[in-house]
Amino acid sequence: MRYVDEFRDGRLGQAVAGEILTTVDPARHYKVMEICGGHTHSIYKYGIDDLLPANVELVHGPGCPVCVIPMGRVDDGIAVARTDGVIFACFGDMLRVPGSERTLLDAKAQGADVRMVYSPLDALRIARENPDREVVFFAIGFETTAPSTALTLKRAKAERLTNFSCFCNHVTIVEPLEALLGSPEVTLDGFVGPGHVCTVIGTRPFEFIPARHGRPVVISGFEPLDILQSILMLVAQLRDGRCEVENQYTRVVPRDGNARALEVMAEVFEPRPVFEWRGLGFIPHSALALSDAYREFDAEARFDVPGVRVSDPTECQCGDVLKGAIKPWECRVFGTACTPEHAIGTCMVSPEGACAAYYNYGRLARAREIV
Amino acid sequence: MSAPSDRPECEAAEGHCITCADEGIVMRVLELDGDSALCAAGEGAVTSVAVDLVAPVARGDELLVHAGVALVRLGVPS
Amino acid sequence: MSASESIAGGREQRVLQIIQTARAKRPRFRDERITLAHGAGGKATQTLIDGLLVPALCEPGSALAALGDAGALTIDGHRLAMTTDSFVVKPLRFPGGSIGSLAVNGTVNDLAVSGARPLALSVSLILEEGLESDVLRAEVEAIALAARSAGVEIVAGDTKVVERGAADGMYITTAGIGAIDPRADCSSGAITAGDRVLLSGPIGEHGTAIMLARNLFELDARIESDTRSLWPAVDALLDAAGAELHCMRDATRGGVASVLNELARAAGVGVTVVETAVPVAPTVAAAAELLGIDPMYLANEGRLVAFVAPDAAERALAALRSVAGCEEAALIGEVTPETPGMVLVQTGFGGRRVMDQLVGDPLPRIC
Repeated sequence: MRYVDEFRDGRLGQAVAGEILTTVDPARHYKVMEICGGHTHSIYKYGIDDLLPANVELVHGPGCPVCVIPMGRVDDGIAVARTDGVIFACFGDMLRVPGSERTLLDAKAQGADVRMVYSPLDALRIARENPDREVVFFAIGFETTAPSTALTLKRAKAERLTNFSCFCNHVTIVEPLEALLGSPEVTLDGFVGPGHVCTVIGTRPFEFIPARHGRPVVISGFEPLDILQSILMLVAQLRDGRCEVENQYTRVVPRDGNARALEVMAEVFEPRPVFEWRGLGFIPHSALALSDAYREFDAEARFDVPGVRVSDPTECQCGDVLKGAIKPWECRVFGTACTPEHAIGTCMVSPEGACAAYYNYGRLARAREIV
Repeated sequence: MSAPSDRPECEAAEGHCITCADEGIVMRVLELDGDSALCAAGEGAVTSVAVDLVAPVARGDELLVHAGVALVRLGVPS
Repeated sequence: MSASESIAGGREQRVLQIIQTARAKRPRFRDERITLAHGAGGKATQTLIDGLLVPALCEPGSALAALGDAGALTIDGHRLAMTTDSFVVKPLRFPGGSIGSLAVNGTVNDLAVSGARPLALSVSLILEEGLESDVLRAEVEAIALAARSAGVEIVAGDTKVVERGAADGMYITTAGIGAIDPRADCSSGAITAGDRVLLSGPIGEHGTAIMLARNLFELDARIESDTRSLWPAVDALLDAAGAELHCMRDATRGGVASVLNELARAAGVGVTVVETAVPVAPTVAAAAELLGIDPMYLANEGRLVAFVAPDAAERALAALRSVAGCEEAALIGEVTPETPGMVLVQTGFGGRRVMDQLVGDPLPRIC
């Protein structure tokens, strides 16, 4: 594909990396947060860290929708999955997230009918094909993914399906960033913004970051060149004393997002007054529930879920990692008690999680240029 | 012989979940089909995509697709 | 470097060291139940083998302890190799092959990459009650055809039938015997720093073909399994490189990434792979991208990796490329003394990353 090839061109990458080197102030240390799990993944997959000067530090943020789901909610999902007759559909990454006693994968090994899907529309298809079974879709994701759940529920309603429901754990991106920016332990110079969330909500919702917190934001695409260009644009803003939201991903992101997607979301969802985020605590208005018109499809209404709040294990420091306060290897259980094979926390389970990404990809002694 | 769509067979505990990673794939519209379109990614990987949020689309249009739903029609000035 | 940076650097180094040490230790098999991950060919499989099977079944220095694709035996001065395999692929038929052809080629290939000319197979069928005879007939023909193509004789067999619900149609178990070729001197121990890594053709075809044949994702693409006998490729490599061919593996479940990791660990060396040198068919790349899977982890059923001494690499590659089906063979990396036990990838973009072993299972019942 045209887009993809250009934006993975190594020579262009070298050129942009060179420009970053000449733009940074050698006496300054830059701490840039990339918010989106997809960016974390790309950075490690392409070894982008390797290409940056040593005084530019990338910090991973709370933009991994799997990582932020608290254990109690996972337990609820597992309880539904283990109900007789239920076909439980979820995205791949959710399968290995630990609840208080087991993962969905364990539940599957023990006999629950758990199926991986790539889209809620797949789950809807399963419901159509299995009219005698209850099909439940575990919905997660930010505003990028919420429209697909909303569309699916609209279709379910139009088709009058009675055997389909949704366990809704959609979260929104702005509120945790506000919480994070209000937290004293977090010192950041700028943000690499989530390109695909912005295709839905537009770039305006991020304007509070420069306006109220004095930090620049660059909305970035996901190819390695996108990310490097965005970092360049950020350090250039800092050098020039500018502070604004810039859009590096103009080839995809419209400034005002997708109005129809926002309409559909407004029809199907309503904001939850409060929602618990793993490691970040309770954040108001940060998540979505089904609206009254769609309550019939709410799995929490249809099934008995334990609804018990489970604290993270005491040794787990996912919260600090998700806030960017510590690096994965600074977590006291990283690599010892917590590994991808036996994960304690979600940051290690999801390949987009900072700990898993570092463990799987970044784990080598890097020879970096000292600026 | 057990029915083909009987037991679940896939667990992508590896690779990464492109939905969770907020990834979008650029796909080309091959054929329209009501509120969906048959689209191709790269060379010849074809799948059905819901186009309600970007309609109207035409054959040859490039779409950004996430979780089976098109979010953007590319190349259109915003 | 500032004081705080060097402290941070030191801390990071210590943690990395702890991880390396932990990974070098013999794993303990502590899982309560078997999951599909144990069959994936990645970390869970390794732990099962290293933690449970080897301690129970292996004497130190025995044929099994070498953990190659085949076990070596000497009988009356004749050097033989023996291997066993089972095939539980779902669905039974898929573009490019079926369980029958897989069974023959898979067994033949375990022998071939151990440096043994495949001679004879035994085939054991476990059939599910209710299996259509036409299906069985087709598979038996597939076995016969594949055996003829590969030049091996089926010398023994067995058939069992189990109740409806077990065996999912059909499972096949095989054993294979081959004669270790006098030109061959392959083992993981022979791998040395500087060795070049060759790959005999494009990756990910079998894995993707199976995924599509399962019809789970409404994804269409014209991809066929690459199942075939690797003996002609091995023969050509032995001819061109002889004792400078240090080690081979067929890259089945877990893909190229898994075999490189296994060998890096076994030989105590590092391997660096150049991402842009690895051949992948565009359709496979597109399908893998859509599904979020790295083709390096996808199963192949007709591709091998070969570790060759640097002076022999060019002629070995030329010899490989002259074999039908291996025209796209490529030199994809090399063995380094740094980072022992780790496989690194030089990305197309210029940076480097680690290519670790699989933890879970991207696709169960792949072969």
